[in-house]
Amino acid sequence: MTPTPAPTTTPPPVLALDRLTRRYGTLTAVDDVSLRLPAGARHAVIGPNGAGKTTLLNLIAGTDRPDHGTIALDGADITRKPTAKRSRLGIARSFQQPSVIAELSVLDNVVLAGWPHHPQRRGAWRRPSRHRLLKESAGRHLETVGLADLAQRPAATLSHGQRRMLDLAAALAGDPRLLLLDEPAAGLTDGDIGRLLGIIGALPSSVAVVLVEHHVEVVAELATSVTVLAAGKVLVDGPTQEVLAHPEVREAYHGTAPSTGPDDARAEAVPTACPFPTDARG
Amino acid sequence: MELLDAHLVPAVDGVAFGLLLFVVAAGLSLAFGTAGVLNLSHGTLYAIGAYTGAELSDGTWGGLALGLAAGTAAACVAGAGLSAATAPLARRGHLAQALLTFGLALIGGDLLIQFFGADELPVRVPEVLDSSVTLLGHRYPAYRLCFIVMAVLLAAFGTWVLTRTRMGAAVRAAADDPQMLAATGHSPRAVHTGVLAAAGALAGAAGVLGAPIIGPGPGTSENVLMLSLVVVVLGGLRSLWATFAAAVAVGEVQTLGVSVAPELAPYLLFAAMAAVLVLRSRFAEPAGAGHGSAASGPDPVARLRGRLAGLKRSSVWRDRLPRRNRAPAWLARLPGRAAWWRAAPLLVLLGVLIALPALLDAYSISLAGSALALGLLAVSVTVLTGYAGLPTLGQTAPFAVGAYATANLADAGWTMGPVQIVLSALAAAVFAAVVGPAVIRARGTTVLMITLAIGELTGAVVNQLKSVTGGADGLVGFPATQALWGGEGMLEESELYNYVLVVAVVAVALTLLVLRSPAGKLLTGTRGAEARMRASGHPVGRYLLVAHICAGALAGVGGSLMVTVQQYLSPADVGFEIAAFALLAVVIGGTTSVIGALLGAGLIVATRDWVAGSWPGHGPLLLGVLFVATVYVLPRGLAGLRGGGSGGGGQGGPPSDPTGSPGAPGAPGTSDTPRAEDQPPSAPAPTPAGKASP
Repeated sequence: MTPTPAPTTTPPPVLALDRLTRRYGTLTAVDDVSLRLPAGARHAVIGPNGAGKTTLLNLIAGTDRPDHGTIALDGADITRKPTAKRSRLGIARSFQQPSVIAELSVLDNVVLAGWPHHPQRRGAWRRPSRHRLLKESAGRHLETVGLADLAQRPAATLSHGQRRMLDLAAALAGDPRLLLLDEPAAGLTDGDIGRLLGIIGALPSSVAVVLVEHHVEVVAELATSVTVLAAGKVLVDGPTQEVLAHPEVREAYHGTAPSTGPDDARAEAVPTACPFPTDARG
Repeated sequence: MELLDAHLVPAVDGVAFGLLLFVVAAGLSLAFGTAGVLNLSHGTLYAIGAYTGAELSDGTWGGLALGLAAGTAAACVAGAGLSAATAPLARRGHLAQALLTFGLALIGGDLLIQFFGADELPVRVPEVLDSSVTLLGHRYPAYRLCFIVMAVLLAAFGTWVLTRTRMGAAVRAAADDPQMLAATGHSPRAVHTGVLAAAGALAGAAGVLGAPIIGPGPGTSENVLMLSLVVVVLGGLRSLWATFAAAVAVGEVQTLGVSVAPELAPYLLFAAMAAVLVLRSRFAEPAGAGHGSAASGPDPVARLRGRLAGLKRSSVWRDRLPRRNRAPAWLARLPGRAAWWRAAPLLVLLGVLIALPALLDAYSISLAGSALALGLLAVSVTVLTGYAGLPTLGQTAPFAVGAYATANLADAGWTMGPVQIVLSALAAAVFAAVVGPAVIRARGTTVLMITLAIGELTGAVVNQLKSVTGGADGLVGFPATQALWGGEGMLEESELYNYVLVVAVVAVALTLLVLRSPAGKLLTGTRGAEARMRASGHPVGRYLLVAHICAGALAGVGGSLMVTVQQYLSPADVGFEIAAFALLAVVIGGTTSVIGALLGAGLIVATRDWVAGSWPGHGPLLLGVLFVATVYVLPRGLAGLRGGGSGGGGQGGPPSDPTGSPGAPGAPGTSDTPRAEDQPPSAPAPTPAGKASP
């Protein structure tokens, strides 16, 4: 498959997927997908329901195993590495259903998420000084996502949007090299989406982001490159503006063929896709 | 040919037995698969049918028909009653159901013995069938052949109803999506009742017809329940044909297996069950499997090495560090008011336990000692069930390892208490490390079944390995344990009790320290959001294995104390009943509460051996009443008594009950608290205290 335009310099791509395939029985959820992401990439994966977006994310995160193909992080093959190991290598993810530990406090959720990434994690629970470090960094991440005031509340008391933010804070707690976001904007209010855009926009440029998203608006706002999946296959990929304007994408993704000429479709695609005020990013 | 000839009769017997099990297990599977009820009283429904059939059987066809009608109807009514009893528990998970149905089974068993007597009832089949026919040159009882025909008809009828009728469609729909069913105008409640009544009817009919094969007696319900559980597990819940094949296979193992390979037969059943479950959980969860395959093989060794390295390093640091850094992080914040509130119930309990020898007679003290030993077993179950999220019925296995280790050590002359404790704990930990990989992969009720199989296999080993365990006779007459080197062997009950108390306090304190440290939070996190923990880089499988090993060691200590306090050991001390009691003690205690588990164990021992002492022979009835009452009166267990409304969320579902969790903010103790703590030791006190001389 055609790789996304990546700088063909010496450092290997942060993430390289080579002909990944995953079948469930007769259904091929991900079919021969390749992808190369440079450091700092902002890449989106879009497609209709059942296109294999989440499966692809699960394959990268390690919750699912490919039948064929390889996954490499920074040039090292991680196809057979378990999820936890991949996380420690720098892959973090958020979940489609925000996943929080309901019985622990908000702060503890983030402390636990940051724990395995602490350079000396074995002693973390015996040494007060290191425990304090973990707590401080967890506190910073909570401030980032705007939950600092709720740090001591049990996570069970959070609303859906707050849980999503906590999930994001947990993903950020490991200081990842590669951040996988599974529909981060689903179920969020406009204000929360604005905050989310701000958080992801403010990530250091060393972090690569893979974003699975239904909202074309969020994609247009965040991603510099896009892969469109349909029935597990790569339909189109390339820079965001081009891909979103692609007639085949409009047909596959919106389910409607451009009724007028392709020029009209191209002209409409991006402007209508961005209803958020640009200042929401701040 | 000769071999085939010799085994023809057991083989045909196996088919009959298998068909009987199929009919019973189909009911169990129906109740679990479509009504979501884990019915541990299913064997009792069979027994109701069997007793009724046997009572009404008079050697005529009329008697058989009357028995069939009456037995089926009685079990059907019992099933409907069960539906009413379980309906309020719909949201509370399978452990609450297990507590309820196990209690009902105990009550039902006791009532059946009241009505029909404790002996096995003779069954008189119609005279035409009470003969034998010639089958390829062998005499074979005609009734069994006739039974095979009847069971096939019954099974075919059930299958037809389920797959070809509107009613069956509703039942299958209820299994898939009750809300959708409700939306189409059927009442899920009615379906629930109908399913359980039908399951009861199946069990009852099987009981009447199967009475000449598995006769009605005191052990019937447990026997039938176990075998049909195995069938359901082997067959899975998806297909009736798989259940059928599993039932016939189990039937053949029980008959043909016994005649072909008598030594292996006791293991075959539960080994097959464990193997199927382990394989299935490996294939069902690719994620878990992927992680586990990396974690299970070299894991224990790697983990141990890592821990040793960690210990070494930390000790070096400790020497170098300034003194204020020596205290672990969690100790630093212990002495707050909240912490004292949290510790208060434990301290009260400790006070009562210390004072006990002065209050009670010798027999009661020794009972209190075994209650403590069982309490440790229950605490180990809490660690697994409440913290690691692995509900277990198999902690009697490491408990047995510890117990037999201590007994054999004492026999070999190693009578020093601390040595016995440490070695028993080590043996149990090694055992837990070996079986751990099979347990930690699965979740939920699958864990219950795997651990049940482990417990039963251990029981079979105990019965077979006579040179080590004394077989069914047990071990007795080994030298008494010394509390410390050089002391005399302890013979006095109060001495023994004090020894047990000291060891138990140390073990519980260690457990609490670990659980309340951030290590406990790791387990809580694993239970609460496993995917999140994995995605954050936590080697979840490793945590669970370590938890399993530690819980095993704790159970081993409990076993060692049990031997010390009882001075004898029999297979019944490590059997299924004890495993069930340990789990139920934990459920009574509130699943995540260590003190709750201790109190639960105390309540159970007090009820079974102490209160029942004044009403001999009715221990099971009283226990059953205790279990049933607890389910309804204390939805969150004993732990729910403290701090009433403070533990927001949770809704009392066993695995998510936050009340007893260490992370919970200090709950304001209500006036209920001290009363609850006193209950097991002092509530029954008046009776024995009257006999005790101060």
